[in-house]
Amino acid sequence: MVVKVHIHTTHRQFTNGSDVVAVEGNTVGECLNHLIKQFPGMEKALFVKKDKLLNNVEVYLNHASAYPNELAKPVKDGDEIHLVVMLTGG
Amino acid sequence: MLTPSERERYDRQIMIGEIGQKGQGKLKKSRVVIAGAGGLGSPIAVYLTAAGIGTIRIIDHDQVALSNLNRQILHWEEDVGRKKVDSARTKLRNLNSTVEIQAIAETITKENVSDLMDGCDAIVDAMDNLPTRYLLNRCAIEKNIPFFHGAVNGFEGRVMTVIPGETACLRCMYRGLVPQEKFPVIGVAPAVIGSIQATEVIKYLVGIGKLLTNRLLIYDGLKVTFSEFRLNKNPNCDHCGSSAGKE
Repeated sequence: MVVKVHIHTTHRQFTNGSDVVAVEGNTVGECLNHLIKQFPGMEKALFVKKDKLLNNVEVYLNHASAYPNELAKPVKDGDEIHLVVMLTGG
Repeated sequence: MLTPSERERYDRQIMIGEIGQKGQGKLKKSRVVIAGAGGLGSPIAVYLTAAGIGTIRIIDHDQVALSNLNRQILHWEEDVGRKKVDSARTKLRNLNSTVEIQAIAETITKENVSDLMDGCDAIVDAMDNLPTRYLLNRCAIEKNIPFFHGAVNGFEGRVMTVIPGETACLRCMYRGLVPQEKFPVIGVAPAVIGSIQATEVIKYLVGIGKLLTNRLLIYDGLKVTFSEFRLNKNPNCDHCGSSAGKE
């Protein structure tokens, strides 16, 4: 399954500036693992530990919230994942 | 009932078919809390005051600092060191003396949040930290008052509207605390986001349009894009779901 991952502005320093990365996998978690294989710096940007996303990272699959159990959500060819960072400033 | 002066002042918005004199009358009768008189609170307060909301209660415990002036347009050089709510009240009264401005220089806490929100028709989240945003979210749900969330960082911002008992709330996707950090921001980001929050408040009070409910709108000022994401009400949410009150 080829899936597009949209990278948040603050994470593009870890993807050589790319805002969209093509990945493969059958679940959101597998797709993110493939993303990290290509860009290892993304691991600390997304995960606090294995299979545990940082609290400020939000995952949207095809423009809908993937919460809860984001990593287990199945994906299909052509799907899009958006990685978004929660904002708190005002 | 609008006075002749009010009909003249609000002529251009009364001309909007969806508002009219009836809608303007609804705005005049409304009471809105703006929590925060900073980057977001500034445009929200200016536009709601200009639009003729009857009563605006603006709450902020802080004083104006020089580093606020790149974005907090209610405050000017002469206000540095002054309470933000006093500075805000002065500007808002000069803009529209017919609006009752209640300026409250208090920190919003678990103990006082209910009293501070009492009697209002809408709560606007213009805070700069997540714990207080969650206090407001919970209070809004408990009091059945619509909640208008906005947040910014850098050139980016996000907006969502919460109708208690009906739509996803700010807490529905909660995974745990997020570290509080000094955040970067350029003034035009809260200008955009605060203006959208004010638009949502006006639409809700008049009863028109389609609100940003069950939708998160994300603005990227660097790309000039608006992205919309669907949100789901979490049945197990500890603020609006089955886990409410069990904390």
